[in-house]
Amino acid sequence: MVASKLEWNRRSFIKGAAVLGAAPLIRGGSMAQQQSNQSQQVPEGQVPKKPLGKTGVQVSAMGLGGYHLGSAETDQAANEIVAKAIDHGVTFFDNAWEYHDGLSEERVGKALKGKRDQVFLMTKVCTHGRDKKVALRMLEESLRRLQTDHLDLWQIHEVVYDNDPDLIGAPNGVAEALVAAKQQGKVRFVGFTGHKDPEIHLKMLSHDFPFDTVQMPLNCCDATFRSFETHVLPEATRRGIAALGMKSLGGSGELVRHGAVTPEQGLRYAMSLPVATTISGVDTMQVLDQNLKVAVNFEPLAAAEMQALRDQCRFLASDGHLELFKMTTKYDGKVGREQHHFPTTQELPL
Amino acid sequence: MPQTSSGTISLRKFGRSDAKISALGFGGHHLGDAPDTKTAVEIIHQAVDGGITFYDNCWEYRRGKTEVWMGAGLKGRRDKVFLMTKTCPHGRDGSLALLMLEESLRRLQTDHLDLWQVHGMAFDNDAELFIRKGGAAEALEKAKKDGKVRFVGFTGHQNPKVHLAMLNTGFPFDAVQMPLNAFDANFRSFEQQVLPDLTKRGIAVLGMKPLNGHGDAIKHGVISAEEALRYAMSVPGVTTTITGIDSLEVLHQNLQIAQNFTPMTESEMNALRERCKPDAVDGRYELYKLSLKFDNPESRLAHGFPLDTQQSEVKDMLGAEMNTGHPFPEKQF
Repeated sequence: MVASKLEWNRRSFIKGAAVLGAAPLIRGGSMAQQQSNQSQQVPEGQVPKKPLGKTGVQVSAMGLGGYHLGSAETDQAANEIVAKAIDHGVTFFDNAWEYHDGLSEERVGKALKGKRDQVFLMTKVCTHGRDKKVALRMLEESLRRLQTDHLDLWQIHEVVYDNDPDLIGAPNGVAEALVAAKQQGKVRFVGFTGHKDPEIHLKMLSHDFPFDTVQMPLNCCDATFRSFETHVLPEATRRGIAALGMKSLGGSGELVRHGAVTPEQGLRYAMSLPVATTISGVDTMQVLDQNLKVAVNFEPLAAAEMQALRDQCRFLASDGHLELFKMTTKYDGKVGREQHHFPTTQELPL
Repeated sequence: MPQTSSGTISLRKFGRSDAKISALGFGGHHLGDAPDTKTAVEIIHQAVDGGITFYDNCWEYRRGKTEVWMGAGLKGRRDKVFLMTKTCPHGRDGSLALLMLEESLRRLQTDHLDLWQVHGMAFDNDAELFIRKGGAAEALEKAKKDGKVRFVGFTGHQNPKVHLAMLNTGFPFDAVQMPLNAFDANFRSFEQQVLPDLTKRGIAVLGMKPLNGHGDAIKHGVISAEEALRYAMSVPGVTTTITGIDSLEVLHQNLQIAQNFTPMTESEMNALRERCKPDAVDGRYELYKLSLKFDNPESRLAHGFPLDTQQSEVKDMLGAEMNTGHPFPEKQF
């Protein structure tokens, strides 16, 4: 398992710097110190629930990102993170077939033993242009690793290449697998994800496929730069499709490390948008505690507060250097690169 | 392969001006891959003899090495060529751009440039930073007024929208440089989105990356070098096609194509675009549009992007390639 972890290169440059774990270079400098002093002080209460689009289902306003569970030091650490998150009302669990070559799914499968019915379990299919048969094989593997007979949500992962919408919708493509899996009762809802370009998301939506969810980067910088918030979120809302936010701090805490926002500002902004949940990666108990402090008893920001945060980030946001997932290949995964004949992460890191 | 490189290449009108430049241009970046000064000088001599009049370079290529080598090669031949280099403020002040101009002139051993371009417009805010008070636009105006440069322009390989934003600043550019090749036509296309605007405005069109930057599509057998170069040179409205030359062998190959050049017909071009389309639509052979692979450290630092230690300019910065413990140049010129 250790070997396969090293082979997954998508975020190898940020090892140990997972989302909130990055020591923030904030004015005043003592943020890291404050974090460790306060890390045990998660308030009483629960993470509030929000409706998942038109599905009639409610999910927690903060979701637990699956990639980073694969980065946690041990299976035991992952178990404890999952247990504590559930205790505080987190129900939305994110994952993907390709995260850490399966380790992320395996860990969540173990951690959810006996708790499967308390959560809303999502994973993603990673065909990256391949057909329905490959997708359904991946579904069976995901179910086995997650130790369950059904998913609450199954999404097409990493729709980031310009021709992905065409490949997804082609005859015998992965879209047909979503329909089949739903019909077979193996998944309740379906959606897609991507971090690259609002135009690609809009092209996906334009095909009128009955997606229940769509996942996208949403953060204080996004509002200024190639904005999913401006271009995709209203369209998803108009169609009654639940929006799932991700990369609230830039994917690896870039927004925090470069001084654009504090972790609390970044998370609160993302959670205040009209989304069903904000998925945030957690690889240590310290990061979980920081997230829970924001998410437990969460109250949205006022419109003026949100505008102030957008304004605060505007200059840093305007060339995309804090949203590397839009401007570089850094966040494009191994399997997608292979299928699209792109260089590996070692050959083309950015 | 011809032993002698003498010959002519057709000349084309440079935008609205009376100047004319060769349909094939000498790309300066690759000159830095020549093994030594002597070889680089010989390549330039044979290129001039072979009919190439347009010479491309840039302040930030290989930490100045390519300008120094080109300057050495053009000594005594300066008046036979149309010499371009680029300045690299990347959003920073026009005064910095002018300092770079003085360095470029010194390295190139000349008192003026025929064309001076702002290098590497890549990011969504570059046009805004260019035209701002105190920005690079003022440097272009001043250099032209002072007679240090005849014409001015800008370059970029990332995004047609950034080029259009630059044009929409209203600045009177004489030339614009961009990728033009058979893959571009089906992916975030400069040929379709930018070229018609340039033709309409009478701005010289400088094509680059005819072989997609590193020739990967040729190595993978999708297209031949001759097809690729002929396509780029045949794009209606293109003034010159700049291609990187790092050896006499590559020079001779390019000269042979350019000296015997006849434009492709429209149907030939269409057929080639269609053939390349399946490999074009996700950008796998145009990584300069999707990654920072071709964006130099100067540009990354000015915009706050991370560096890549595999890049030749970064290696040069660290002195690795010279293996002397000192970055290039080792001595002052």
